[in-house]
Amino acid sequence: MALWGMVIDLDRCTGCQACVMACKAENNVPAVGQKEAERGRIISWMQVLTETDEEHHSEKMRFIPRPCLQCDDPPCTKVCPVYATYRNPEGIIAQIYNRCIGCRFCMAACPYNAKYFNWYTYQKEKPGQNPDVSVREKGVVEKCTFCHHRLQKARERAHAEKREIEPGEYNTACAQACPAQAIIFGDLADPGSEVSKLARSPRAFKLQEELGTKPKVIYLTEGEGGG
Amino acid sequence: MGVKRVVLIVVVGLGILTWAYSAGWVSGGVSQPIAFPHKTHLDLKLPCAGCHQRAEKGAVAGRPPTSLCMACHAGGDTKSAEIKKLRSYGEKGREIPWQRVWRLPSHVFFPHRPHVVVAKINCQSCHGPMETLTKPPATPLKTLDMNDCIACHESREKAVMAKATTAQAHPKAARSLLNDCNTCHR
Repeated sequence: MALWGMVIDLDRCTGCQACVMACKAENNVPAVGQKEAERGRIISWMQVLTETDEEHHSEKMRFIPRPCLQCDDPPCTKVCPVYATYRNPEGIIAQIYNRCIGCRFCMAACPYNAKYFNWYTYQKEKPGQNPDVSVREKGVVEKCTFCHHRLQKARERAHAEKREIEPGEYNTACAQACPAQAIIFGDLADPGSEVSKLARSPRAFKLQEELGTKPKVIYLTEGEGGG
Repeated sequence: MGVKRVVLIVVVGLGILTWAYSAGWVSGGVSQPIAFPHKTHLDLKLPCAGCHQRAEKGAVAGRPPTSLCMACHAGGDTKSAEIKKLRSYGEKGREIPWQRVWRLPSHVFFPHRPHVVVAKINCQSCHGPMETLTKPPATPLKTLDMNDCIACHESREKAVMAKATTAQAHPKAARSLLNDCNTCHR
């Protein structure tokens, strides 16, 4: 069984935000408006975090694209009282909007701030949105699900054609959009896949690994002289 | 007083009805441009997918193109006003503006193909007794809820599990994905 994961090479990331925009367009992520944004309610499943170098202040900036890290031991699912968020058998942390009661426990539990709340009805269904992704209602939590609607379609195709999903058949919007190919997506359970080869690289690290969340989004540090 | 009260009740009643209509609680149903009789066609032993061809090829079953109707209905005399309507669409090369009756909520991923081609589920098990209709339905014959989906998926899971243990496949894999929320919710 597949274990979906992602590798983000920080040496390649230029901080261009193409992944952020691709994600917003793909997943019907709403624009919350200025007032809401000022209250810190921006919804952005993919975010490019910045970090300045401690030794060389203002000389070097590090860009860290941060989707939901799809932890293998997720803190958010353990606090959900209604099983709206859980780790599915393929390692994706699902978010079932119709089950969500909006208690926001998961948001408090997530150490990466990867979950977002719909304080208002920010948008309604209209033409131009991606029909494969439902528009979230007011009062539910949403987050990156590794574009699992693409997996649904890829699996449906493979199922009808009586075969397994081929490598590359399922890819996330951010990985597809990245012009520097800094984001690589694939099956971590397959030792031959590009993503698992890169995940074994000596440059690999995970965000806040000490928490024991075991993220399946793995970062590669900059090469020599970087970071 | 009496007249005023009656007027008030009528106005309030109309208001509530208008609101309910706009909120989608009351719906007038769908009327089709042609009174297509499913019964006549299915009595001729035509299979559902003979006209709804996309059911076997993609996510949405859809209505057939006018050219497919015309393949049978182009020639010969007819007294039927409905067939004349069909021909006028066909001769102008226009598609019939069929209205969609069945619609699942937008958060459900339901592709017809695996259900029709792989699982070989009868169309009627979700769509109801379409073969008895002499005119197009205004509303769906059957209202589906999640229990209808899950009941079938769970029974299917048992079958897959039984097969998997004998074939030494991955029983756990088959079990979990078939009934995983993420498989259908989006």
